[in-house]
Amino acid sequence: MYGFEAMTFNIHGGYLEAIVRGHRSGLLTAADYNNLCQCETLDDIKMHLSATEYGHYLQNEPSPLHTTTIVEKCTLKLVDEYKHMLCQATEPLSTFLEYITYGHMIDNVVLIVTGTLHERDVNELLEKCHPLGMFDSIATLAVAQNMRELYRLVLVDTPLAPYFSECITSEDLDDMNIEIMRNTLYKAYLEDFYMFCKKLGGATAEIMSDLLSFEADRRAVNITINSIGTELTRDDRRKLYSSFGLLYPYGHEELAVCEDIDQVRGAMEKYPPYQSIFAKMSYGESQMLDKAFYEEEVKRLCLAFEQQFHYGVFFAYMRLREQEIRNLMWISECVAQNQKSRVHDSVVFIF
Amino acid sequence: MYWKNILGVVQNKRTWCNLSKISMENEEENQPISEEIVLQFLDSTDNYITLMESLSSSLRQGWLELASARLSMGTSRVTSTLFDLNMHPAVTTLQVAPLDGESLSQDIMGRQSRFSLRKWASFNEERCSKDTEASEDLQMESNQQLHRHGSHHISANRSHASLSEEPAEARLASSESLTTIDEQVNKERSKSLSVFGTLVSPKLRAAQLSFETAMETLVEIANMRSLMLSAYAQIQQDKDKTQ
Repeated sequence: MYGFEAMTFNIHGGYLEAIVRGHRSGLLTAADYNNLCQCETLDDIKMHLSATEYGHYLQNEPSPLHTTTIVEKCTLKLVDEYKHMLCQATEPLSTFLEYITYGHMIDNVVLIVTGTLHERDVNELLEKCHPLGMFDSIATLAVAQNMRELYRLVLVDTPLAPYFSECITSEDLDDMNIEIMRNTLYKAYLEDFYMFCKKLGGATAEIMSDLLSFEADRRAVNITINSIGTELTRDDRRKLYSSFGLLYPYGHEELAVCEDIDQVRGAMEKYPPYQSIFAKMSYGESQMLDKAFYEEEVKRLCLAFEQQFHYGVFFAYMRLREQEIRNLMWISECVAQNQKSRVHDSVVFIF
Repeated sequence: MYWKNILGVVQNKRTWCNLSKISMENEEENQPISEEIVLQFLDSTDNYITLMESLSSSLRQGWLELASARLSMGTSRVTSTLFDLNMHPAVTTLQVAPLDGESLSQDIMGRQSRFSLRKWASFNEERCSKDTEASEDLQMESNQQLHRHGSHHISANRSHASLSEEPAEARLASSESLTTIDEQVNKERSKSLSVFGTLVSPKLRAAQLSFETAMETLVEIANMRSLMLSAYAQIQQDKDKTQ
């Protein structure tokens, strides 16, 4: 029951909540980002990051550095922290932590299948997979010819198996089917995660419902914008939207028929939380939409830490770290391309 | 590469100075080198420099948009690991044709060549070739009136400017056909991007457009360079005759 977590939460979750709050204090601040934005080369970035928690991971990297190297090493840090928390967690926190990685698992599955379709080497593809989404039989994905085989040979023994019920067909895997598979899997995963959090109840259910609803709504907007001008039909588009969130169901009906960004704006401005997001953009423009959504997400994730005795802090921390890694990637790209004037186009300050 | 371009510009400017001297000397001797050829050389040099700046701008914009797309879609979706290694026919080809009857010199450097880009080869070839010829004609007209631009949207501005000069009826007909062509071209563009997935971010599409503009600019640079070298060869030839 909501309100009584204070009596029992610390028995099993107190240590890890303290750990994750400690990790949170290590997130880069606005001062750190200002220093990084002044860097002239990637080696300068490495030098500035050596004073942060990333220093240990980057110190042995030889020059010249590459942007992907910085991202890989920073991601490695996140993976180490996650694995430490996972091995210390008991149920239901361990299941909750595993849910956080299913999104990466889906991305890895799609990467392997797409790369195999394009006749790429499996080992090369495995190197590009996100470490949080790895599972034992992932390399076997390369032998599947259609979704039925994909499920039967590999995915039936993975946590993604329950999400495949809506996309098992005997159709051959092509670019469109893979895209629909990706979004259908992610939809099923989000809905399952949402129901799991609801079952946990209490502060976890309340906070995670808000965060996952925002995620579902953002995905709906991105699917709509990305599918404008493509062969994806309105019905197929509607099927990819999640069955929860602020936009469900009436907002989804409006988004499904949108043909340009201004119509999307018209549909979204009816909802106050998203009115402020679209107010930051001019008509016909969608370039700053990603940043606006990331800023709103960061605001909500930071608010999760204002309350104790719930699992939302773990989800919030993982997402904030991923945002930090995105920031570092963008800063590195701007420095590497000598376009420092554009660095503030996509950096989202967390503190 | 950038410094080589600067060196080329400096060398072109020195050549311009030499040509000015040659022109003055020949004026004094009452045997001027054709001023038209000198002007052609100077114009083509000016256009060449402008096009190089435009190319640099397009490429910088394209790379930044690609990085932005990678940020938006994720590093696992925008990566060279997904490139298709299957054999496909080339979507875009470059055609090189010597301009017969216009070359005044048998020297290879002096013979002017015409480069043209044939885009979206899987698209209706007849319609594509008509549009390519029409767009090449428009580009040739506007090249002669090219002013300095810093932006990479030269080709878009050019097509809009040229359309406004046509009669109203022809404009209606051409705009309708252009709309159909635009739809087909957009389909071909989406097909090219499908290697990254079918639902890609608008930023990736913007990057594609930037690189496409850069490719067109490269072809224009090649044509301009060919014109420049041809004019220079003619001037050298005239100079040798007067000497």
